[in-house]
Amino acid sequence: MKKQTNTNELQSSFIESFHRSGRIFTLIALILICLVPVVFSLSAKTTPIWSSIVAAIPFMLSYVLIGLVEVFSYAPLLGVGGQYIAFITGNISNLKLPCAINAQTITKTVRNKEEQEIITTIAIAVSSIVTTIIIALGLIPLAIFGSDIVKVLAPVSPYVIPAIFGGLGIVLISRYFKLTMVPFAIMLIVALATFLLKMDLGQSVMLTVGMAVSIISGIVIYKKGTKKEKIAKKQNDDLCDDDDEFEDE
Amino acid sequence: MNFDYIGVYILGAVIVVTIIAMASFYLVKALKRAKEIGMSSTTIKNAIKSSAVFSIVPSIPIVIGVGIMMSYLGLAIPWIRLTVIGALQYEILAMDQVEITKVVPTAQLIATATVIMTFSILAGPIFNIVAFKKLQHKLVDLEKNNKRLLDTITGALLGGIVAGLASHIIIGAFFTGNTTPSDGITVTANGYITLITLAISMVTMAVCGILIQKLKWRKLENYALPLTILVAMASAYGLTFVF
Repeated sequence: MKKQTNTNELQSSFIESFHRSGRIFTLIALILICLVPVVFSLSAKTTPIWSSIVAAIPFMLSYVLIGLVEVFSYAPLLGVGGQYIAFITGNISNLKLPCAINAQTITKTVRNKEEQEIITTIAIAVSSIVTTIIIALGLIPLAIFGSDIVKVLAPVSPYVIPAIFGGLGIVLISRYFKLTMVPFAIMLIVALATFLLKMDLGQSVMLTVGMAVSIISGIVIYKKGTKKEKIAKKQNDDLCDDDDEFEDE
Repeated sequence: MNFDYIGVYILGAVIVVTIIAMASFYLVKALKRAKEIGMSSTTIKNAIKSSAVFSIVPSIPIVIGVGIMMSYLGLAIPWIRLTVIGALQYEILAMDQVEITKVVPTAQLIATATVIMTFSILAGPIFNIVAFKKLQHKLVDLEKNNKRLLDTITGALLGGIVAGLASHIIIGAFFTGNTTPSDGITVTANGYITLITLAISMVTMAVCGILIQKLKWRKLENYALPLTILVAMASAYGLTFVF
């Protein structure tokens, strides 16, 4: 029991240290990110067009809303360390999350356990380092060849998402078949309706809507399962009582 | 006109160093904790290797994104923007709030676009500083009181990602058909190539699964998804010459 308490305390202090350093790193990164327009304006000896910024407020607010929804919905999937890194380095749905799921699948970690937190953090940290280095190295050919290299490679870039989510979809569907099928059917109808109405919602909005629909259907499945278990337990208890009465007689 | 100022490059380098320091810090902490709780070094090595290999192919379109944006913003700003929170589609929408893609870019337009691009993506990190700890404690409480419900929620979130993205990809591809529409800035997916790429990716992963489970090719387990992505992307590249 004492050993268990010590393990829990260690686990808790490990997670607390993740929060502490995550907040500090996020604050530093935010300050640096906000400095980009300032340094550019000072270097170019110019000022932004404030009226255009005011006109873009509705756009900015819509992305603030998407950001808030994302931060809530990714939290149970990315773990503590992963959440702090991923919300600074970005490309979550197309890179960091699939990478984390892949690492979890390979190492066969159990959901919501400390091992999974560790593996997810390792996967997202490694992925962030690799991507940051590749983007930095990519500046060299871009600086030398300019847009010529983009012309050659750009036609293939829209197919990264189907290339990732075909394979990953097979893994996730085989693991969560019951939880995936109902939201998938609903989202097919939603997608069909939006495309028929010529109002494509875009991948990030569809992903968020998909998560919301899936949580609702997941909770319904969970409640049904709990209800069935309760009925089965009650029937079992009644059966035991009958047996006791029979024995008494 | 050249908009790549040395000051912006220096700031970009500082941001890159900060990100690598942050990721390395978490990596070291996680490795230490893994050792403390007795996780096997093979498991950890597999996680590191597969994550590194996995990240290579999806990073290349991000570099292409920098190349697409450099026509409007120079090289330094797209490099910084795509190294941090944003993603190409969002960045293009944000920078085009000042219609920079329709006119000859000026320093003032770029400064304005950069302010809009920066402020739109601050909500997530600010939430993490202010309230993520509380949210995570709530999740821990839920795990203690009702682990099955938390497992259902996390499973449903993963299922929701597949449902949302797959439905958009499939229906979108049927509506696009055999055309490769362009908004003048980026190339949008051809419907046929999208569907075939999706199918190739699914089949490749299924074949990998069979090889791993039936023929016991355990080594393939660590590289099944990166290999799947590579095969699907190579096929997509080939298909761009056909359609």
